[in-house]
Formats: sequence, C-alpha cells, structure tokens
Amino acid sequence: MRRILTGLAAAAMLAAGTAQAQNYPDQAITLVVPYGPGGASDLAGRALAETAREHIGQPVTVLNKPGAGGMTGAAFVSNAEPDGYTLLLARVGMALTPAVNPQSTVDWDAYTFLGELEASPMILAVKAGAPYDSVGDLVAAIEQNEGTMTYAASGATAIDGFTVQALLSDSGMDPLTAATLVPYKGGGALATALLGGHVDFLAISAGSLMPHIESGDMTPLMVFAPQRMDKLPEVPTAAELGYEQAGQITGWSALYGPKNLPEDVTAKWEEVLAKVADNETWLTLAERRGSISTVGQKNMAEYAKQQYELFHGLAQKFGYIQ
Amino acid sequence: MLNDILLALQAVATIENFLIMAAGIWGGVVIGAIPGMTGTMAVTLALPFTFYMQPVPSILLLVALYKGSTYGGSVSAILIKTPGTASAACTALDGYPLARQGKAGKALNMALYSSVIGDFFSNISLIFLAAPLAILALRVGPPEYFMLMVFALTTVAGVSGNSLLLGLVSACLGLLLATVGEDMYGSFRFAMTNEMQAGLAVAPVLIGLFALPELIKLIVFRNPPKTEPMKLGDNRVSGREIRASLKSILRGSTIGVVLGAIPGIGPASAAFFSYGEAQRTSKTPANFGKGELEGIAASESANNGACGATMIPLLALGVPGDVITGVMLGAFMIQGLTPGPLLFQTNMHEIYMLFIGMMVSSVLLFGAGKITMRAFSYVAEIPPTLLTSVVLLLCLFGIYSISNSMFDVTVLLALGVLGFAMFLLDIPAAPFLIAFILGPMIEENMRRALAISRGDASVFLSSPITWIFAALILFVIGITFRREVAKARQRKADRA
Amino acid sequence: MWSGILRGVLISVLFGFVLFVLIPVHVPRPAFIPGFAPPPDMWPRTVSIAGIVLGLIVAVLAWAGPVARPAPNPEKQPAEPVGLPVLIGRFALVVLAFGLFIMLVPRIGFVLAAILLTAAAILLTGERQRLVWGTIVAVALPIVLALFFNSALGTQFPKGPFSALLGF
Repeated sequence: MRRILTGLAAAAMLAAGTAQAQNYPDQAITLVVPYGPGGASDLAGRALAETAREHIGQPVTVLNKPGAGGMTGAAFVSNAEPDGYTLLLARVGMALTPAVNPQSTVDWDAYTFLGELEASPMILAVKAGAPYDSVGDLVAAIEQNEGTMTYAASGATAIDGFTVQALLSDSGMDPLTAATLVPYKGGGALATALLGGHVDFLAISAGSLMPHIESGDMTPLMVFAPQRMDKLPEVPTAAELGYEQAGQITGWSALYGPKNLPEDVTAKWEEVLAKVADNETWLTLAERRGSISTVGQKNMAEYAKQQYELFHGLAQKFGYIQ
Repeated sequence: MLNDILLALQAVATIENFLIMAAGIWGGVVIGAIPGMTGTMAVTLALPFTFYMQPVPSILLLVALYKGSTYGGSVSAILIKTPGTASAACTALDGYPLARQGKAGKALNMALYSSVIGDFFSNISLIFLAAPLAILALRVGPPEYFMLMVFALTTVAGVSGNSLLLGLVSACLGLLLATVGEDMYGSFRFAMTNEMQAGLAVAPVLIGLFALPELIKLIVFRNPPKTEPMKLGDNRVSGREIRASLKSILRGSTIGVVLGAIPGIGPASAAFFSYGEAQRTSKTPANFGKGELEGIAASESANNGACGATMIPLLALGVPGDVITGVMLGAFMIQGLTPGPLLFQTNMHEIYMLFIGMMVSSVLLFGAGKITMRAFSYVAEIPPTLLTSVVLLLCLFGIYSISNSMFDVTVLLALGVLGFAMFLLDIPAAPFLIAFILGPMIEENMRRALAISRGDASVFLSSPITWIFAALILFVIGITFRREVAKARQRKADRA
Repeated sequence: MWSGILRGVLISVLFGFVLFVLIPVHVPRPAFIPGFAPPPDMWPRTVSIAGIVLGLIVAVLAWAGPVARPAPNPEKQPAEPVGLPVLIGRFALVVLAFGLFIMLVPRIGFVLAAILLTAAAILLTGERQRLVWGTIVAVALPIVLALFFNSALGTQFPKGPFSALLGF
C-alpha cells in the first residue's frame, strides 16, 4: 500500500514538474501585494494583474499580504517555489527596508528582478494658507522653530520619512531633531493629519495628495521625481532645486519573483511586460493613480542596487545604523 | 435642483443597478455571516469587477457589500456565538444567550431592525450632514482621538460580567497582544519569529477567542449547552420590545454616525461604545450579557450607523477612514473620479445617483436579512458535535485565505486554547477583544500627541472636546467604583 | 479561597514575565526616535505593570474575604462523572491535535491535514452515532471549501502529495 502511495505521489509531482517547465503558465499566477488593499501599491498590482492576464493567457490573482513595512509579503515571495506562479509587486520599500533596518528579514537582492513598472512621485506639501510659498520659506521656518515643527510620515525609516529627512539633511540640519516626526499609518491618515492641521507639512506619495491639491486644500512645494509632473508643471523637482540627496528619492514599483526563476519564465514576462508597456488600460490606470509608467525602461537589478546603496548611506549618515 | 434629482433617479433606476446592489447586499450578508470571511475580503474581491463597470454602480456595489457584511456578522454571532465581523462581538454577548433560550428568531429580527434603522440614519446623515460632520471629524486630532478611545474603553466595565477586576485583567491581555508587530516608528516589538513582525490580525484573534473555545469546551466537558425549545411568538419582536429598545437604537445610530464620520474609528469601536452606553443608562444593567434585546439593538444600530458614515470623510474630504473605504477610494480613482469637496461641484449628478442608490440599499438590506435569517436558522438543528467542527473548518479555510498565511491559522488555534484557559479562570473574553481593537488607537494617538507637544502631558486637556471626554471618563469611573463598592457591601451583608 | 489566590498569582506572574523577561529582550529602542517622544516599550511596560497590580489585587481580595462565590458554572460540569485526569487528558488531546495540524500542513497539505483534524475533533467530542454525517463533514466539506476558496479567491492552499488527486 505504502509503495503504491509513494509511487502515486512521485508520479503526480513528476507530472506537475514537467508540465510547468514546458508551457508556462498553465495555471493561475499569484501576484503578492505586500501592502493592504486600496493603497497605491494595491492599485498598481491590480492594474498589472488586469492587463497582464490578457497577454499571458492565465488569470493573475492579487493577494494582499501586508505587515512589517512590506517585508511579510516580500519574505513570502522570496521563500516561495521559484516556478513563476508566485510573484511580487515590489515597491521602493523592498530596497529601503533592508538598507535601514537591521531587523529586516529579506535582503534587497533576494529576488529575480523581472522589470520596473512605474515611478510614483512624492510631493512635499503644506496646508493651504500656510505662510510658505517655497521650499526655501519652509526650510527657513523649520530652522527658526528649532525642532518644534511637525511632519507626518509612515515611520522614521519609511520612504515618506526619508523624503523629509533627506531634505533636512541637504539643508544642513540634523534630520532626526530639526523637525518632529509624527507617525501615521496609510496615505489617507497622513493626508488627514495635514488637512486637519495636526502637523505642519509632509512629503508623501502623489496619489494620496493630488485630490487635495486639486481642490486647493493643500499647496505643493516640491516633487520628489526624476522630472516635473504633468499635472503640476509649475512645481519644481528636488533635483532642480539642488537638493542632492532628496533629488535621488522617489517612489517606484517593480515586478519581482523568487530568486533563480527559470529562463522560460523570465523570457515570458519580458515579452508580456513589453506588451503591457503600450497597453491602453495600463497607461490610463497609471495616470489616474498619479504614476508614470516606466515599464522596461531601466535595468531593474542595477536600479535596485543603486537605491539600496543610497538609503544605506543615508541611514548611516543619519545615525540610524552603525 | 429637483430636476437634477429626477435626472439622477432616471439614471440610477435601472434593473441592472438594482440587481448589482441586491447581489452586493446579499453576498455581503452571506459573507459576513460565515465565520472566517470578512467584509474586507468581500470588498477586495469585488474591486477588479469595478474596473469594467460604470462609476456609480461600482461604488454602490462596494457600499452594498460593506453594509451587508456588517449586518451579516450578527447572524453568526447570535446563532453560533461567532461574530462574523469584529463589530458584532457585542451582539454575541446578548444574542447567543437569547438563542439558547429559544429566542434566536427574536434576536435575529432585532438585529435586523436595528441594523436597517442605523443604516437609514447614516444615509440621511451622509446626505444632509456630510459637510458639518466632516469639519468636526477634522478637528479630532491625536489628543481628542486619545480621550475618545479611552472613553470607549470604559465599555470594558460593562462587559466584564461578574468580576470587574478579571475584566480589567482580560483587557490588559488584549492591550498587550495588540502591541505585537511593527511599532509606529518602524521597529518591531515581540517579534520572536519573522512572522510575528506582521503582528496579530483581528480576524484570527476574534474568531479564535470566540468560536474555538466552544469546541474545546464540548470536547473537555462533553456537556453541550441546552437550547430551550422555541415558544410561540418568540421568533418575532413585539411592538412593545421595539419601543423599549427605541432609545438605544436611536442613540446607537447617532453614536455610529458621529464616530463613523471620524476617519479611522470604524464600526467595531462604535458598536462597543454604544453597547457600553446602553448598559450604563439601562434600568436593568445586570441583564446585559444574559440575553438583553436592548444590547443587540445598541450594538447593531451603531455598527451599521457607522458603516454608511465612513463614507462621509471619503466623499466630503477625500480621505478614507478604514481599509474598506480605502478600497472605495481606489475604485473612485480608477473610475477617474476624485472624491473630496470638488466632487460636489463637478459631479453632482453622480453624487445624487449615489445617494439614491444608498437609500435603496437600506430597503434591500431588510429583504436580504429576512431571507438569510430563514436560511441560517436551520443551523440550530445541527447537533453541536458536528456544528462545532463545521465552524472549525470554516474558520481554518477562511482565515488562511485572508492572506495565505499559516501564521494566521496558528494564531487562530493558539487563541482558541487561550480563550479556553480564560474561560476556566472565569476571565471574560469580550474585554480582551475590545482592548485588542482599541489598544493600538489609544497608544498611537497618545504617542502622537506627546510627540507633537514634545512630551507635555497637558496636551490631553487642550481643547473643549478633550475636556468633555475627560469629564465623561471621570464620571464613568466614579459610578463604576460606586457600583463595585455597593456590590461588596451587599456581599458582606449577605454573609453576616 | 486558594483557587482565587492562585489565579491572582498566576496573572501577576504572567505579566511579570512579560515585563521583566520579554520586554527587555524583544522590544528594542531604535536610534531614530527623538528623546522626548515616548519609546516603543513605554506602552507595553505600562500595561504589564497594570496587569501585575491587578493580579495582586485579585489575590489579596481572595485572601481578605469579600469575594463573591459565583454559582457553579453549569458549562464547567462534565456530562458524566469523570475525574480531573480525564478532563486534563481531553484538553491535552485538543492541544496535541492543533499542534499536529500546524506541523502536518507543510508535509501532507492543508486539505488532508484539515480532514484529519476535523475527524479527530468529531471523535473527541464523543460523537459515535452520526458517523455518516461525521464523515461527510470531515471529508467532503474540506474538499468543497478548498475548491470554493480556490475558485472564488484564487487561494493556493499548501499542497501535499495527494493534492494532485483532488485536481489542484
């Protein structure tokens, strides 16, 4: 009996194994979004799932696995079977967290890099009617108030904390004490904190702020992005204003898989992403959530390394790690 | 304006929209009623469909699912003592004893009536009071939020049963377990394994604590709780009973609407708040937890009242208050609509359509509730030895599916064992859950307030809202203490 | 009285363990929090201290007297007269079954482990009459649930050697 069972099991596994190697994909693909539903990363993941399924011929299921700054979902994918059926919607956090947090569980390169998806700009904003017309005004006020001005962010070592801290550091102040960090969870809560006047300024992802900027409740001072945003042509980028470290910070999404993905899987996704890049739905959805599609424009492995080194350097400089 | 409304009515009143909403409500009720499946699950599941739908129907579908699942949670809370959603935890406290007394139908009907009334109230408030409530909500900063949540925590005194002390112990356990995982500044607490970095999710804790101890009790003592046979008239709510609970329903709806309008509070906290209030002002507070209809009324009117009201900050300010409205915001953006003050200037047509649809969904909720109630009432016929195992299976599969996590399943089973141990020590479970949900809000807002004030504690008494809640907290502590002293005296007199 | 004191001491010891053993090791104070902001360990410490104090009050009140003697909870009475060792044994079996389930899932798959756990749970409740229904619940329901969640949510349950026979 036992021999029959083992034989059956072996046969089943063999059958599954060969099937996977030959015609990927032959079943649904799970795309893990390492953050909660409804946020910018979730929307990016769902948009990719919707567009990719047309080109890959199998359903792409989005699975939200939030927790630990995105590391729970990242660990799930990086420890998954490298068969191409478990992929990760990576965000800047996948390079940032291992760079700044010694407790982080997944290294920045514990993946196969399938390609970049989008750049999502971050915006430095103050409440409408605040007495600052430019970044210079704001920085001067921060300096004058000796640390009592407050900003909202997802955490000290989160990307939206680093935007502000890099700006402070570029302006010659101590990023830890020059302004007071008030942590909030999620884009909605962050935006509410500024709208309600509970904090003085913030620099978070554009998607959460654009509605309030368009309605005139918030004033944008600067964008953290490679170029100016189409919707905010008058607002300068950090690089234009000469902020060296802040100029390198921006948000992005990419598609990662577990390390050592087979060649046919990476080839298939290269082909699919090339089609996604021109897909009408993908481009409109990206624009609506305030992102710029950058599918296939960068060498993702190199870019991830650059980003990791940038944040690692900053964290050391700021004294967060030794 | 009347013309605009008529135009919107014409646009929204299609068979298709009606079917979408009916399916959403009913699907929500069923999903909410199944232990282990949550409203968030229902809403995220539907999100991809909205990519292909018109803007207004897609939002209405999500709203319908949210409302339905919030009501549906009460069905399993009453019938099998397993709140399908956290907001139905207080419903289980009185609903389950009623079901044991053969009055399941009465309890289910009371839950439905209060839910529908609460829902109706929240729709009305959304339509007429959105702007002022949104302004009020924005004034609630960290210190106000902190005081408000501490006040909500005083509900613990009401759900502690025989011993206030043991209730407080239970609350401390809940507060402590809620700190596991990522700290608000980005470090980790009690992360003994990598999986613990993500912290404990509400669903496995809720279900583990309420549903699994029933199974373990049955296994250890083999003494299934006796259900009395149903008596004639016990499956309906009489007019007299409605009138007796009307005050609690109206107060619950108001609490739900006001708390729901504040981003981040949500239906569960509103239900706890309302239950505590109903018990404190009741003439027979000792009946709460033993099968008091008014308890169900208070809890269910508040959670559905909060449900529609969470749309207020979303529509009026463009800020989502919880995960579900976060998903809705995503759906709005995908449709090219931007919620917020601008929406009321540029898309009034869609707003009217949304409002009309939401009013209709209240009626649909009533119908869907009636149908589901009948279908689920057969649950009482299943012998407990099999029923507890069915519940166990539903919980295992449902909890695993939330985020494909064996850690969540481990938490579920561990909390089941903990819940049984607490039962043996006479430590009540409800304060644990309330503290587990309110704890993070209390802690985070306290630390935010102290960060803003640079460590100055006077920030907690810096605005009129905080003064009001400080006075209320002192008042509640005062009367609770007096009640306890009176109880102790009574015991002494009994012994003498 | 003694059970009351024991309960109080037990509560205090539990919170004491958290305060003196777990918090110093497992709640680090990172360098990126400014001095005046409350650190991550402030709240767990406060709650643990409250728990210790509450436990001591429970113990002292049990010792000092004015403790309510609540009516014996009928739910805590076994249906047949069995001794304490039997009750403890049954509880140990539950914990063992739960533990085995967690350990077996990665080895034999979620569905099969769930079938075994459910069968064990039904037998442990003392059910011996409704074996047909019991089998349906234990065997058919997990398979139906797995197929349902797999098709509705796309959930991938941990697979085992026999999962292929079920078609997923």
